[in-house]
Amino acid sequence: MTAGRNTSTLTYLQAISDGLRTEMRDDERVLLMGEDIGVFGGAFKVTDGFIEEFGVDRVMDTPLAESGIIGTAVGAAVVGMRPVCEMQFADFVSCGFDQIINVAGKMLYRQGLPVNITVRLPSGGGFSGGPCHSQSPEAWFMHSPGIKVVAPSTAEDAKGMMIASIRDPNPVVYMEHKHLYRRVKGEVPEGSYETPFAARVAREGAELVVMTYGAMVHTALEATEDLDTPSGHGRASIMVLDLRTLKPLDEQAILSAVRACSKVVIVDEANQTCAAGAQVAALIAEHAFEDLDGPVVRVASPDVPIPYSPPLEQAVLPSVDRVREACRQLLEY
Amino acid sequence: MPQMGASVAEGTILEWRKQLGDWVESDETIAEVSTDKIDTEIPSPAAGRLVEILVDVGVTVDIGVTLARIATDARPGEPHDAERDPAPPVEPVAQPAAPPRDPAPPVTQPASPSDTPVDAGARRGAIRRYSPVVQRIAAEHDVDLAAIEGTGREGRVRKQDVIAFVEARGLADPVGSEADEAPLHTESPYRPEPPGSADGQYKPPEGRPLSRMRQTIGAHMHRSLQTAATCTTWIEVDVSPIELARREKGMTALPLIARCVISALVEFPQLNAWLEDDVHTVHEQVNLGIAVALSDDDGLIVPVVRGAQDLSAEGLSRCIRDLASRARARALSADDIHGATFTLTNPGQFGSIMATPVISQPQVAILDVEAITKRPVVVTDAFGQDAIAIRPMVILGLSWDHRALDGALAARFLANIKRRVESYES
Repeated sequence: MTAGRNTSTLTYLQAISDGLRTEMRDDERVLLMGEDIGVFGGAFKVTDGFIEEFGVDRVMDTPLAESGIIGTAVGAAVVGMRPVCEMQFADFVSCGFDQIINVAGKMLYRQGLPVNITVRLPSGGGFSGGPCHSQSPEAWFMHSPGIKVVAPSTAEDAKGMMIASIRDPNPVVYMEHKHLYRRVKGEVPEGSYETPFAARVAREGAELVVMTYGAMVHTALEATEDLDTPSGHGRASIMVLDLRTLKPLDEQAILSAVRACSKVVIVDEANQTCAAGAQVAALIAEHAFEDLDGPVVRVASPDVPIPYSPPLEQAVLPSVDRVREACRQLLEY
Repeated sequence: MPQMGASVAEGTILEWRKQLGDWVESDETIAEVSTDKIDTEIPSPAAGRLVEILVDVGVTVDIGVTLARIATDARPGEPHDAERDPAPPVEPVAQPAAPPRDPAPPVTQPASPSDTPVDAGARRGAIRRYSPVVQRIAAEHDVDLAAIEGTGREGRVRKQDVIAFVEARGLADPVGSEADEAPLHTESPYRPEPPGSADGQYKPPEGRPLSRMRQTIGAHMHRSLQTAATCTTWIEVDVSPIELARREKGMTALPLIARCVISALVEFPQLNAWLEDDVHTVHEQVNLGIAVALSDDDGLIVPVVRGAQDLSAEGLSRCIRDLASRARARALSADDIHGATFTLTNPGQFGSIMATPVISQPQVAILDVEAITKRPVVVTDAFGQDAIAIRPMVILGLSWDHRALDGALAARFLANIKRRVESYES
């Protein structure tokens, strides 16, 4: 899809901005709403310079009221606009929960009206943000029908999935990991393109597959790049599957990976209970039982708030070492 | 192939009891055959040595075809042809003689320790458990998992171990390849099922040829429907007297009803008849065919109670029981199944209440006795008052051949049975 295009090296954050800008230039129905996204350019500067280019009618600074932001966006979508809402931190979306779950998610079912909104959720921890600025709340939305949830892990996917989210006629919750904003860089195609809502094989492998998404894709790649085989003859062949889309899950890709590798480690940065990985594990248990050569292993944050203290936070979030040890144990099984 | 009954045209060899070169006495069983009526044994027509078998097991041939040749000029005790010029005994391959003090046969001992991973597992005291994928691959490639040395924790057989074993064995099929797997089922409402995938279509199981008995029954029934002008007439009968009598006598209802039917046949001999082309043969003797279902739904057979008009209900009961048990044991003789002049069928034991039976050619009628069920019926008392009563009722269905008789006769025949049943006194 993007082969042969000119590319430029962008950070994950710049790629999100590029996606927004590209789609706003191509489609005047696209408008932005959020707290301090205009004059200030956003808390993380994703929309820096947007108000100058697109004006106050399309880049709207709103009051500190997530319910109002999303509710207004739903109304705008119903009359044909394509609003993109920024939650300053994903954690704050709980204030707008009712508008997403009960209004946006059920409008098509109840009234036959598509709600073409995108809600951006800067999520995740790892930078001592504390319990209310570090959460990974994607599973809240996976559980409720009528909403799509995507979580890119690379700069290229961040731009392509942003454009695809804006164009998708359903409400889309777009999980953008704060810890990746300036750490991840990549070649990003210029111009407009969509990244499909499907999983991506981040690295091929045959002995074990790590399934994850968002920032944990990079943790998984690092944790498994130099693992030895149990027999000690060379490196273990470990696949990393970047789920990319959490609702709907790419069941085909997940089950194919199980069939190929037969051993599965699932990594969530989110709190363990009912996280996205729990659904992946359930899917595998139900549909890939006969392909398993060992227990499905999960690595996730324990069911505690994300601590402010840097050493405590590092102890809670899944680390490279924890993922590596889980893989080693399962390889030896 | 000997003639085993008027309507038997062919037979199938089930088993040769004697092998080439065997001595056979006269009338000793030489083979077992299956015909469309019965399975039976063939006695040898003469004493001698079996020198040639011309029809193999499973082959069907017509009556009169030579099955085997017996040399009648041979003498018992003479060596077989093959034994006349015995080959020199094979020189045993040079082997170290077993030590005389160790008579144990060496074959029962393992060739080397590496061949006995079961022992290794037993030494560890661990029960060998296998993961789903290992069991699946083992089943697909017919692998004995006990023969594989596992490299997993505590010797567990990993997927890689069983794949390596299969590949080393030379059956390097693409283990776990995706090409031959059915498409995954997905419950996601967001993705349509793969369109028109050939693999997703229903694959019917492989068909098998019908059994000989089924083919015969089918051909016979089909021929009957093509031959006879079959009509069916029903009548509803109150079997209260029969129910009472059978409790007193400790028998089933069938021989009691059969007794009434036989008496009616004596009164209406036009139904106790054969119609072959234009020849109408009316019998005075009642040879009553009783349809017997064989076990496991593998067909039915119709043994015959000869001279049934002379038998009491008790005699009929004994006869029917004997024939039915011999039919289910496949022990009927050819004579047991020939010459029926009228047939009774009684499939009502499963609760069905009506049927349209097919006439067994060349007979002109068949009576179907269905389930006895309690029903509300209108009865008239001694004072002419009508009342609703609960009575055990049965529907008798008579299929009759319109070429031989008309509906009024069929109805009168049924009414005669009804009157006999409803006034039955033991």
